[in-house]
Parts: sequence; structure tokens; C-alpha cells
Amino acid sequence: MTHSGEYIRVRDLDVSYDGITPAVSALSMDVAEGEFAAVLGPSGCGKSTLLHAISGVVQPQSGTIEIAGLPVGAGRGDDSVPIGYVFQEHRLLPWRTVAQNIAIVLRAAGVADDDVDPRIDHYLEMLHISKFRNTWPLRLSGGQRQRVSIARALAIQPAVVLMDEPFSTLDEVTARVMRQQLADLWQRSNQTIVFVTHSIREALFLAGRIFILTQGPARLFDTIEVSVPRPRRYEDPRLTELEAQIVEHVMDEWGYGANSGEEPRE
Amino acid sequence: MTTEQVVSLRQITGGRLQRFQAFTVASLLALAVWQLATLISDGWVPSLWRIMEALGEDASTASIYTDMWITLRRIFVTFAAATSIGIGLGVAMGLNRRVMAFFRPIVVMGLAVPDVVYIIVAILVLGTEESSGLIAMVLALIPFVVNIVVGGVGARDPGLDEMSAVYRLRRLRYLVDVVGWQVSPSLIVATRTCFAFAWKLIVLVEALSQPRGIGAQIYYSFRLLRPDHMIARALLFIVVLRLVEAIIFAPVEKRFLGWMR
Ligand SMILES: Nc1ncnc2c1ncn2[C@@H]1O[C@H](COP(=O)(O)OP(=O)(O)OP(=O)(O)O)[C@@H](O)[C@H]1O
Ligand SMILES: [Mg+2]
Repeated sequence: MTHSGEYIRVRDLDVSYDGITPAVSALSMDVAEGEFAAVLGPSGCGKSTLLHAISGVVQPQSGTIEIAGLPVGAGRGDDSVPIGYVFQEHRLLPWRTVAQNIAIVLRAAGVADDDVDPRIDHYLEMLHISKFRNTWPLRLSGGQRQRVSIARALAIQPAVVLMDEPFSTLDEVTARVMRQQLADLWQRSNQTIVFVTHSIREALFLAGRIFILTQGPARLFDTIEVSVPRPRRYEDPRLTELEAQIVEHVMDEWGYGANSGEEPRE
Repeated sequence: MTTEQVVSLRQITGGRLQRFQAFTVASLLALAVWQLATLISDGWVPSLWRIMEALGEDASTASIYTDMWITLRRIFVTFAAATSIGIGLGVAMGLNRRVMAFFRPIVVMGLAVPDVVYIIVAILVLGTEESSGLIAMVLALIPFVVNIVVGGVGARDPGLDEMSAVYRLRRLRYLVDVVGWQVSPSLIVATRTCFAFAWKLIVLVEALSQPRGIGAQIYYSFRLLRPDHMIARALLFIVVLRLVEAIIFAPVEKRFLGWMR
């Protein structure tokens, strides 16, 4: 698959929470419209920070981020591109039921009243959590909450979906079902997905392109095109081979090199 | 019934029994101390018996209920004004740095000024109308409410703010569904505190400037050197206030804090 265009355009991004220690440093990357992009990096390198910046909730120190030619940030008006965001933590309203949590964002996204309930049902079913429709989030397990958060992000059918390790709290079998569904869903839509993960196999299975980051503060280390045709199988030996190559490739950069001898930074 | 249920039932009844015992012991102790004070003070502190008699007398006079009603009404008016202004101001301060910078010193000052000063200044400036005392009370109460609410708003989860921004929740939705519910425990604390303070203050206001109301009654009894009636009237009104609390505040609290359990 070839990628052209700069639908999400990140240039020379510097982000720092305290103004002193950088969390992301001089990072540039482009994601094409309709692309499934994975972001891979060691723990604490700044992956979540990157998504925060793309979504506009964190202001960069310097650098620019544009989506569809419009700068993101505080002034994100109604004409800017709608974003669905699966945060690393679920970020549901504990005092609203599962259905209400989704309904609130659907209404904010301007979904017609008549469509709200069917939409909720559809996505809850897709994520196999229909029976929790009227449950308080605090009564759900971590994985169930995360699936509600995914349902919420997808239900508004946004042009851009940001996902921060959405399947890392699920058991492996459920995670596989979810990955498959996400791959199918993406193929049927023309959504642009930026998917953060620390699982190389997951990135290879889902993405058309993988952005590999350096240790923190994150810069772009390398970009890898995944040319394995879809539909892919999770156990595909080609993925195994690519996985081994990537591990080999990042070893040094992520601080596990033969001559680095030091612990990776957390 | 399973053994588990039996055990949990016993725990509950055990807990209640214990609380009841503690309550009884504490009350008896308080009564004993009072009675002792009566003996030591040469009769200036009325005995429990005299207070009981006064209670009986007062409870059977019609005018005391008019006074209670007058005082209750005043409490509600000031309480409603102080909580709504205080909550509005507290939320605005918690969400907006400029509003915070402007009002913070005023609130800090307001907390430090003794309540009596508000009342006396109001009487000096506005006269002894009913409204001047009530305005003084509202002014005295607002800083307390603001203080509690600002704390609650400041302690909210920034993650939910970010979520609201990403999904572009409308301002009102955000205020009610995201901020409001996080702040609701402190709102309840604020209203309760405000209600309790309102009662303490109204007695002062009425004693200083009003001919009617429970506070005025308590003050009359004091001037006529009838401490038994003074205490009886206060007690009667405390019972009424506890009833109001149980009827209004308890159910509201249950409704708003249900999701936590
Ligand atoms: N809210 C915050 N305030 C201050 N520092 C933060 C905050 N969030 C993250 N950081 C710091 O920024 C750096 C990058 O964090 P980030 O959460 O982006 O990493 P990550 O790659 O998502 O890690 P993980 O894989 O563990 O989720 C870390 O050093 C972290 O300590
Ligand atoms: Mg992260």
C-alpha cells in the first residue's frame, strides 16, 4: 500500500509538561487520509503525549500539528475534523451509565435524537458489551470499561480515531476478536486511525505503516511499511518474520544494545 | 437464609446496637454534667427538671410556632441566596483563573471577618429592617460556601476535562455532567455547612435587631432572667432543624451520591 498526502501533519513537535523536561522532542510525521498508522515505542517514551498533542488537549511548546489542513489546539472549532479518542485510561463519567456515556458524546457530535439509541446498541454489540448497557462504569472490569471507551470513540464515526493501547487490558482471546473487528471496520470505513501500542505483532497485524519512536523524549526513529496483504492472519509467518526484524532493529535504539549496557529509561 | 446473610445481618444489628449504646452513654454523661453544673451554680443554671417544665410550657404556646416559622423562613431565604451565589461564584473561580485571582483575596478576607461585624455594620448602614440582617447573613455565609466549592472544583479529574474537550461537549453539558457531578459531594457539604451556619447566625441577627423569631425569643428569656425558657426554646428549634435536615438533605444526598456505591 502506498501512502500519499499529509492528512495528519506533525512538524518539529516539542511537548513538555513542566516546560523543562521534554516528553516529545522534534518529532515529525505524516499520516495519510484513510491510513491505519501504528505508533510503536518503549514505555514512557511519549506515545500518549503524542496522541494528546494530536487531539489538541495538550499544547506543544513548539512545532505544528494540522489535521486536514487545519491547526489543532484550543481553538478547535466546529468545522475542524471530529476525533474519537480511546484514552489509555477509560475516562468514562462514573455517574453516567454505559449507554449515557456514549449518548452524551453522540449528542455533542450532533447525532439526531432518533439515531442515538440504535447507534449505541450497534457499537455495544460490536464490542460484546450489550448486557452492560445500563451499568455504572465503576461496576465494570478494566477490560469492559476499555471496551465502552472504544465504543464511545467509534460511535461518533469520526474521521480520525486515536487509540492508546486500547486492547492492552483485555485477555488475549478477546483482544484478538477486537483486533479483527477493528481491522474489518477500518477497511469498510475511510477513517484515519492512529493506534499506539507496545505490541509489535499487534501493530503489524493492524497497520499499513508503523511509526517507531525513540526512547523518551520521543523522536521518529523509523517508519516501516507493512505490505502483507489484507485480510491478515494474526499467526501469519510473514508477521513473525517482520516482528523478529523489528525487534532486532529497535534493540539498540531502545537501550538494550549489546554495548549500551544500561537499563532502558522508564 | 445463607450463613453469609446471617453473619452480615448480625454485623449490622451489632453495629446499630453499638451506636445506640454509645449514644445513650454520651447523652447520660451530658445530662449528668449538666445536673452537676446546676448544683454548683446555686441555681443559676436551670435544672433538667425546670428545663423540662419550660419545654412543656413553650411547646403548648401557639406563638412559639409563629416565631419558629418566621425564623425558618429567614433561614431558608438566606440559605438559598448564600448557597446559590456561593456555588456560582465558587464554580466560576474554580474554572477561571482570572475570576479566581480577583475574588480570592475578597473571600479570604470575608472568612476572617467575625460574623457579628457583618451584622452590626449592616444594622448601622441599612437600619434594623429585617432585610439588613438577612443581607449581612448572606454576606457572612457566602465565603464559606465559596471556599468549599472552590476546593471541590479544583480537585476534579483533568482527564475528564480533556475527554470533554476532545468530544466537544457543550458548555452547559460540561458544567452539569462533568464538573457538577464531580463537585456534588462538596456541594452537599457546602449546603449543609451553610444551613448549619445560617441557624447560628439568624439567632444573633434576631437577638440584635428583630422583635420576632426564635432568636428574639431566646434573647427575651435571657433579659427576663429565665434561662430555662431560653434553653427550652433553643432545644425545640434544634429538633425542628434536625427534622428538616432529615427530610430534605438526606434524600438529596442519597440521590446524588448513589453512583459511588
Ligand atoms: N500529565 C503529565 N504531567 C507531567 N509529566 C507527564 C504527564 N504525562 C506524562 N508525563 C511524562 O511524559 C513522558 C511521556 O509519557 P507518556 O505517557 O507520553 O509515555 P507513553 O509512551 O505513553 O508510555 P506508556 O507506554 O507507559 O503508556 C514520561 O516521562 C512521563 O513521566
Ligand atoms: Mg501511554
